[in-house]
Amino acid sequence: MVVTDAYSPGEPTRFPILPERGRLSWFELVLLLICIGLAVANIPSSLRDVILLSFLFGGLALAWNIAGGYAGLISFGHAAFFGVGSYTSTILLVHYGITPWIGIWIGGAIAGLFGAVLALICARLRGPFFILSTLAFAEVVRIGALNWSSLTGGPEGLSIMPMPDPGSMVFASKATYAWLMLGYLVAVYAITKALESSRFGYYLFAIRDNEDAASAAGVNPLLGRTLAMALSAALTGVGGSLFAQYFLYLDPTYVISPELSFQFALLPAVGGLGTAIGPVLGSFLITPLSELLRSYFGNSAAGLHLVIYSLALVVVMLYFPSGLSGALSKLARWRPFS
Amino acid sequence: MSAFLEIRKVSRAFNSTMAVKDVSFVVEKGELLGLMGPNGAGKSTLFNLIAGVLPPTSGEIIFEGKPITGCKSYDVARIGIARTFQIPKPYRQLSVVENVMLSAFLREKSVAGARSLAEATLADVGLADYFGTPVSSLTVGLLKRLEVARALAMRPKLVLFDEIMAGLTPTEVGTMTKFVASLPARGITVVWVEHVLYAIMKTATRMVVINRGEVIAGGAPAAIARDPAVVKAYLGEEMNLA
Repeated sequence: MVVTDAYSPGEPTRFPILPERGRLSWFELVLLLICIGLAVANIPSSLRDVILLSFLFGGLALAWNIAGGYAGLISFGHAAFFGVGSYTSTILLVHYGITPWIGIWIGGAIAGLFGAVLALICARLRGPFFILSTLAFAEVVRIGALNWSSLTGGPEGLSIMPMPDPGSMVFASKATYAWLMLGYLVAVYAITKALESSRFGYYLFAIRDNEDAASAAGVNPLLGRTLAMALSAALTGVGGSLFAQYFLYLDPTYVISPELSFQFALLPAVGGLGTAIGPVLGSFLITPLSELLRSYFGNSAAGLHLVIYSLALVVVMLYFPSGLSGALSKLARWRPFS
Repeated sequence: MSAFLEIRKVSRAFNSTMAVKDVSFVVEKGELLGLMGPNGAGKSTLFNLIAGVLPPTSGEIIFEGKPITGCKSYDVARIGIARTFQIPKPYRQLSVVENVMLSAFLREKSVAGARSLAEATLADVGLADYFGTPVSSLTVGLLKRLEVARALAMRPKLVLFDEIMAGLTPTEVGTMTKFVASLPARGITVVWVEHVLYAIMKTATRMVVINRGEVIAGGAPAAIARDPAVVKAYLGEEMNLA
């Protein structure tokens, strides 16, 4: 498909170097090649963990960004969808013997339904009131999961048999998981790219930027918000199922925790809200940073890793208010020799 | 034969204040109806009632024979009524052409189709040089033209203009007046609220004057200008200096 840039008539149709909305760039292709290289390369197991978690959280950050970045629905409750997805596929596997290859789609669908319900409940809330109610929603889901022990195992959680079996999506090699997570990242990225150049994507931008004007142009804001939240929640749920298949253990205090919700929101904020490349860059910077700091200082100087991590966040927020992708586009406009 | 748009005894109260009180008038197809009144007369509230932003407290609004009272604003937009905002409400993070594309999507479902309709509409209002410009860098005059382009890209049957001349230079007012005057010939009926009176008096086929939420006069622009009730509403009682 040839995408022409109608507003630079002097310039021939080009394949941009840095990411732009709705089209692919060299930057993204090179990044994909590096990711494939990292998945293939023979690296120590602990580093492999960091890499595949960066892939997974990159996909989760992109999923959050569909609601938070594109539709302006800043949510601190996405751990609920992550939890619903992971629990659904795991319950189906453990209790009913249904393979996760099917279970992840059911988990995604149910998480999407939860997303739609959240959007409808919060239909009239804006700004901080909306954010607080998403947080409360996730707490309700967490407490529900803690107490419905017959289904979720309650506080003891649920375990998946650590017996490698491709049929139940449990693998012996971490390299296989790296491929799985990279596949998830690429799929959510492709959905995001398709969204931002589609009519529905434009509707979301309009609802985010000015709801009255969007409504006057014939756009139903409640419908747009509900669909955006459902899509974002469904993709988050799929990520949750993949996490369960990798970690092989679920308990509500981690998979439905506010900390996890904040993490989903933080990565796109650092990387650049409302862009496709932003959440990916955010995850590639922050996930390794937090994992490596924890393994270096976790024992020798307990708590120091959190101090360094927080300082790094403050620096990024201060100097790159529009995120890493904002810094990239600034770089694109930089003409040092003119 | 029913009217194109009929406002039938419409009222709207905000708490105990009647912003619009028993207002009735009709708009005929192909008309350019001027709506005037002093500040706070209820013109913008009346627009919001027609456009579905607010439901009326009582009364009925009938468009092409069908009641649209209490319809949501996106439904009103879909049946062919477009409006501009007195204070422009652009999509801040989008470019000029993307702002108009969002209106064009109402009639052109494909992105490419919406883009070409948006570009044509922008060229129409003299914004051909600004397609890729971010809206944050537009002047007031250009934002007003963007509002007009957004309304017209919806290919409306009826358009409600709310003070599209405020903040424009005299040259811009002249160009815009000619442009608005050309719309009825293109099949677009216009209801126009404006404080720049010489522009609207010259262009409107008929005027309705409201004050304190009530219709106080209606008729040809020349007759309205001499109507004692209108003069009183704008200038107060005639002084007797003798």
